[in-house]
Amino acid sequence: MADKKSSDPVALWQQMIGEMEKGFNAFANKAMVSPEFSRVLNQAGGLTAGAQKQFGDLMEKYLVSMNLPSRAQMIGVADRLQSIEGQLNEVKAMLHQMNKGAAQGAVAGTPRPPRTRQPPSSGGEKK
Amino acid sequence: MNAGAAQERRDADNSAFDFASVQDRIQSEVQRAIQRSIKGVEYFSTSGPMLGSTPKDVLHARGTMNLYHYRPLANEVYRVPVLIVMATTNRGYILDMVPGMSFIEFLLKRGYDVYMLDWTAPRPEERSLAMEDYVLDFIPDCVRRVQEDSGEQDVSVIGYCFGGVLSLLYGSIFNEGPMKNLICFTTPVDFREMKLFANFADRRYFDVDRLIDSVGNMPPEMILSSFEMLRPASRTVSQIQLWENIWNDEYVKSYRMFDRWATDILPLAGEYFRGITKDLMWDNKLYNGTMTVGGRKADIADIKVPILHAVAEHDHIVPYEAAKHLIPRVASTDKEEVMLKGGHVSLVAGPNAVKRLWPKLDTWLAGRST
Repeated sequence: MADKKSSDPVALWQQMIGEMEKGFNAFANKAMVSPEFSRVLNQAGGLTAGAQKQFGDLMEKYLVSMNLPSRAQMIGVADRLQSIEGQLNEVKAMLHQMNKGAAQGAVAGTPRPPRTRQPPSSGGEKK
Repeated sequence: MNAGAAQERRDADNSAFDFASVQDRIQSEVQRAIQRSIKGVEYFSTSGPMLGSTPKDVLHARGTMNLYHYRPLANEVYRVPVLIVMATTNRGYILDMVPGMSFIEFLLKRGYDVYMLDWTAPRPEERSLAMEDYVLDFIPDCVRRVQEDSGEQDVSVIGYCFGGVLSLLYGSIFNEGPMKNLICFTTPVDFREMKLFANFADRRYFDVDRLIDSVGNMPPEMILSSFEMLRPASRTVSQIQLWENIWNDEYVKSYRMFDRWATDILPLAGEYFRGITKDLMWDNKLYNGTMTVGGRKADIADIKVPILHAVAEHDHIVPYEAAKHLIPRVASTDKEEVMLKGGHVSLVAGPNAVKRLWPKLDTWLAGRST
């Protein structure tokens, strides 16, 4: 069985990939715990964040000049949609409550199951 | 001489065996290559499986917060409802993959009344949301709504990863109730032991104030990069493995589910991220017992309710060293830590979770839910 596996080139390839993954991750993790790595990473990250912010501001101005909706305007639209969704949810919740009330009054609704379930006994399964 | 002949015969047998084996293998590989081409086209032309489809109602939505109530699937449920608090960086559908692989569905079928506090991306104007908004407002608000909706005073809380940290902080402050049981999955307490994250956030080099002041909310790309840096080779290897297994529908389905979830990272509200960095990553206040939220002491030593902490043997995000202090620190007398095979995600979702964590949780929680 072991011989068969060791002579299977596909299994060998998969094993090699797995080992390479482990080895590379372990090597990278060792390198990444050094303070030097943190310094370089955060320098690069700080520059990227700054550049991203500047680019965002520039893009905003460009979109306004092209008469296209800016991110802020899209967020405004999203806010309004979210508010509509929120109101729909409130209506749904009210309907749900009304349904519950109706169910209590013996009118058709979706009654909830009783909260009387007990854990299964140690030997058997509770249905 | 005899020995030499025997060796030659063995060699001949081996080469004959190898030849047949290689022939079969080539045939199978050619078939798979054809399947890969067909399935590869399918992969890019179809969407992944529909996730998070267990029927639910939105009980309440406010900004970044959503409270769902899942529709019962049992004829009789336990008295105590369950509120799941999701990690703020991730979407809740990891716990509600496809039918048969859904933790939510499992709980519902086992007779629990399930609610979930899930998150959406905080909007730019929500950048000022801080830890106190999550611990003193969002969670208590959801607990109150669960109480109202279920008609029960007691609530069991399940927190996954950072949802576990939020649940711990909530349980520390509101230690007189109404939380009846607490279950944490892979929840860190000693943030120094999350060594790579601690190094990424080294206070000598990481200027969190400058970052948050310039970007507002912590961008999801940066969070995703920091997760991926923990295992830098794994993404490439997983793509190689996907190509190798693309003929296998089950593998592809599973890959798509997990890949979609793992890359679907939420931004974090700016002040909240600033607080996490300073209080937890830098000052390790949860471990030191000096944590405060909105001016209120939040010491996990004040937690008295029954508590279960499930940790994963191969968790690369929250290593055991970071999680192991939880159970010894809480004041609860009914407490248990269970270490299960798996990683940070496979502990809670996928075939490993179906076999290990879910039944364990059901056994533990059932007797405490009446």
